[in-house]
Amino acid sequence: MRIEYTDVLVVGGGLAGLRTAVGAARRGLRVEVLSLVPAKRSHSVAAQGGMQASLGNAFKGMGDNEDVHFGDTVRGSDWGCDQLVARMFAHMAPKAVRELAAWGVPWNRVQRGAHEVVINGERVTLTERDEAHGLITARDFGGTRKWRTCYTADGTGHTMLYALGDRTVAEGVPVRDRSEAMALIHDDGRCQGAVVRDLESGELYAILAAATVIATGGFGRIWGISTNALINEGMGAAIALETGVARLANMEAVQFHPTAIVPAGILVTEGCRGDGGLLRDADGHRFMPDYEPEKAELASRDVVSRRMAEHMRRGKGVKSAVGEHLWLDITVLGAAHIDRKLREVKDICRHFLGIDPAREWIPVRPTQHYSMGGIRTDHRGESRSLRGLFAVGEAACWDLHGFNRLGGNSLAETVVAGMLVGEYVADFVESQAGALEFSPGLAREFVGRERAALESIAARPAPAPGGDSAASLRREMEATMTEHVGLFRNESGLRSAVARLADLQARARRIGIASRHLDANPELVAAYRLPRMLALALCAAQGALERRESRGAHAREDYPARNDRDWLRRTLAWWPTGGATPVLEYEPITVENMELPPGFRGYGTRNIVEHPATALREAEVEAIRARLEGEGRARLQAALLDFRGCLPERYRGDNDRLADIEEGAQR
Amino acid sequence: MSRRLKISVFRHNPRDPQSVPRLVDYELDEQPGMTLFIALNAIRDTQAPDLNFDFVCRAGVCGACAMVVDGRPGLACRTLTNTLPDAFSLYPLPVFRLVADLSVDTGRWMRELAERLQTWVHLEAEPELDRLEARMEPALAEGVYELDRCIECGCCIAACATAQMREGFVGAVGLNKIARFRLDPADTRADADFYELIGSDEGIFGCMSLLACNDLCPKELPLQTQLAWLRRKMAGQGIRWLRRR
Amino acid sequence: MLQSLTGLALALFMWLHMGFVSAILISEDVAWAVARFFEGYFFLPRPQAWLVSSFVAVISLLFALHALLALRKFPADWRQYRIAATHGSRLRHGDTVLWFVQVATGFAMFFLAPVHLYAMFMHPDLIGPYASADRVWTGGFWPLYLALLFAVEVHGSVGLYRLAVKWGWFEGGDARASRRRLKIAMWGLIAFLLTLGLTTLMAEIRMGVEHAPRAGERYVPTWQRGVTAAEEAR
Repeated sequence: MRIEYTDVLVVGGGLAGLRTAVGAARRGLRVEVLSLVPAKRSHSVAAQGGMQASLGNAFKGMGDNEDVHFGDTVRGSDWGCDQLVARMFAHMAPKAVRELAAWGVPWNRVQRGAHEVVINGERVTLTERDEAHGLITARDFGGTRKWRTCYTADGTGHTMLYALGDRTVAEGVPVRDRSEAMALIHDDGRCQGAVVRDLESGELYAILAAATVIATGGFGRIWGISTNALINEGMGAAIALETGVARLANMEAVQFHPTAIVPAGILVTEGCRGDGGLLRDADGHRFMPDYEPEKAELASRDVVSRRMAEHMRRGKGVKSAVGEHLWLDITVLGAAHIDRKLREVKDICRHFLGIDPAREWIPVRPTQHYSMGGIRTDHRGESRSLRGLFAVGEAACWDLHGFNRLGGNSLAETVVAGMLVGEYVADFVESQAGALEFSPGLAREFVGRERAALESIAARPAPAPGGDSAASLRREMEATMTEHVGLFRNESGLRSAVARLADLQARARRIGIASRHLDANPELVAAYRLPRMLALALCAAQGALERRESRGAHAREDYPARNDRDWLRRTLAWWPTGGATPVLEYEPITVENMELPPGFRGYGTRNIVEHPATALREAEVEAIRARLEGEGRARLQAALLDFRGCLPERYRGDNDRLADIEEGAQR
Repeated sequence: MSRRLKISVFRHNPRDPQSVPRLVDYELDEQPGMTLFIALNAIRDTQAPDLNFDFVCRAGVCGACAMVVDGRPGLACRTLTNTLPDAFSLYPLPVFRLVADLSVDTGRWMRELAERLQTWVHLEAEPELDRLEARMEPALAEGVYELDRCIECGCCIAACATAQMREGFVGAVGLNKIARFRLDPADTRADADFYELIGSDEGIFGCMSLLACNDLCPKELPLQTQLAWLRRKMAGQGIRWLRRR
Repeated sequence: MLQSLTGLALALFMWLHMGFVSAILISEDVAWAVARFFEGYFFLPRPQAWLVSSFVAVISLLFALHALLALRKFPADWRQYRIAATHGSRLRHGDTVLWFVQVATGFAMFFLAPVHLYAMFMHPDLIGPYASADRVWTGGFWPLYLALLFAVEVHGSVGLYRLAVKWGWFEGGDARASRRRLKIAMWGLIAFLLTLGLTTLMAEIRMGVEHAPRAGERYVPTWQRGVTAAEEAR
């Protein structure tokens, strides 16, 4: 049996994984990256609209800074996020954009002079400043007070992943594609690496590593229709859960994107609305201003999705052979704009709908899109319960997004978290805590266990015609999740979902396969992944059942209020070895050290059960503001929430902005 | 009235000594809006559970699902069956190493290409992340993006007679990348450096301009223009180099 | 690049060649004058047929060089040929088919052209209204010339089109549109040159048939006929 040794094992070759790997490699560590697919095919590539960073170059971004970005992120999360993390993130995002610019991302740039844009359905002329010419520009996205989303047309994830993929090659970091991590090797609360399966040859072997990083993205594929790539089955989170030690957090916090095309479920970017696109109903009526007069189509994603569903419930949806939908109208933007800035959208419309979006409306409906939850980590990206295990990007609950992620913050999170976690992982490996005596015996034990599991699947009788198979049980799981753990949730639906999923889980552990070979065999893969997907589904359904409030994307029809008093806390799920269901615990989100105490997001009507500490903290914050008035925003900010000490030293510097430089010059 | 499709699928498991490369026919009823993604999954679900093929994004952006559809390379996920005859064949991409059935190893090929052609921005110095970014003309940035849109699907390689006949030819995917980095103002390399990489019969001078790459590129990259442009630049570089000798 | 250059030179030369040969369609005198012109008849004290021979030698060299360079791109063995042929037939792609046309016509010329070139090199003086017609008909060259005509004009025109797209000539702002136009131009050129060539060859054959009884007799331009007769009379 093969056992390999390395310093850092990164599971997942998307943006977060690659940036972490590059960071650790630059610190002189040996790094191995595992990826289900060639790294550049990872789901990051499908991100279209852009990444948020408060550069403040564009005319509509003037006055932007870390404080504004931080505030938008916290409000967007419905106060569910970790404010320390959000602060670190807002501070890092401009650095990440600039690093990527140097590494080859051809960010769209500010063009000086007047140009016409569509804002709130009307053509408006904006004039970009001369001095900003050639700097990185930004577009509008939902839930933000400034135009902050940096982009390359609507292929932003693509250009970022390719720049990072190229950088990975430049740094000589090896990527093993068609490789899957099957189990985490761990003992006594210390992660030691992973059992790896070569998806081509079927070989099982172990990579022992001082630090293991999970960067496998989200788990959207447990829903029937999702914007996620087919590989987003949450296997990284699932094997962490299977340790019985690591915790997953907020698995019920799932984002539904307002605009996925019907029926294929392929995403068309929020940039469509950011650039001026409108949502229309069966009558062609633009309905969003009726619900959210101020932000309309550019309210936060959770809000827009719910409003769309509400509107369809009122009978205003378009009934079609492939299901009910609404319209996304970008004809108002004109063909020239679409050809330059929304060409992927145009391609998708052409190939999957057979329409030209410059002339026809796009059929859309809210669709599962993003997992805010994941492997719970501290601000350094390390699991709090399993040492040596790190998680980064969508796979993690670092907790930047709380209960609703802002558009453009996920791309930003991948690279920002990658930059940070790469350093923290290296710190860890170099420190006393990271010292690890590799245990080949342990590796053999874990590999043996996985081998036995696969062989037992192959030994079971083949699925009978019409009987349970991985494909049939999976369809049932998907239907259950779509029906009961969707945009709106309630007690009875969630109860039946939990019962149904538990039943499926038991049946899934008994399914066999018809083709018994252990090398490249999609049937075998489906059979061993399904129980793991069901475990995640159970965490999400059970978490949603227990969380009797509405917060961000988690909307309970029977508990419509946001209940800070009882639910300002994170759900932690773990799976006792041999258990039949996950165990839930809760981690408080402390109001006492919030820079931005809980408040009203400004959508719909205020419906909040206050936390007793909120008023107190508000008063404290006010006092600090009053005391430090005129001392500059940096001083004030540090007094409210000191985050800089948590950052790696190399990233502590202030971000230059055009406005600051000009101000300095005037002085 | 829906059609009955007959899809002849190439099947072979190169690791199995018993396996012989063969075509296996699968029949299924065409549905409205059916893509090859839907059709192949239906075949896998009901007729051939261990049929290997690669889909990732299923939206035409990741490049995983390129295969030879009815004789021509293309992205299976966005190929509608109603654009195809009643009976047609599916083959894996040629040139690339076969994993099994319709699945080929493009990952290693592309990685080796990247290492060989050094397809990354060669920087003069580490970027200063706290400072304002270097300015770039907006039109130039869009020009670089135009070439950066390659998804490494391998269609250009499969469409290229040269790449099929001669191992080592870098193909349109490689040449386009060189054109992309040559255009990038951040890259410090000069034509002489690029000539070292592609100024040979394995590079730009091996290209016979059959332009199937250009005509079959799923992203409609301007490969014809880029290849011609590179050829002129590299020929110029070659002449300069000869003169200096 | 050298292949492109030699190809371009040869293709352009073949245009001129066609122009000269088709002079016979205007009149026999013009054809005679053209042929003699290259021997220096109009500017040297005496016509020098070796001038033509040396030109033929240069063209032959160009031809050989072009063929040699082109050979690099030919399928090198049976395996490569099989791959290329299967690929070409499956792909249903116009420009790939054109390349097979180039390979086939090139291969044909590899055998056909040397015969003609050798004849021209050895007997440069045998270019003229009667002499050429006799070679075509009585000398039995017409099947060769018919085959050569098709091979040369198709190969040359396709070659020029391919040169244009290869180096990006006449590309303009819209590569797709200009390529479409170039292709139309290529087909037009092929049609024109073939028509002209076939008409010329027909004319030569007709003359050859008529002249067959007196084969070997050399043409005398009309304006010299009186003079010659007078000289003979003297």
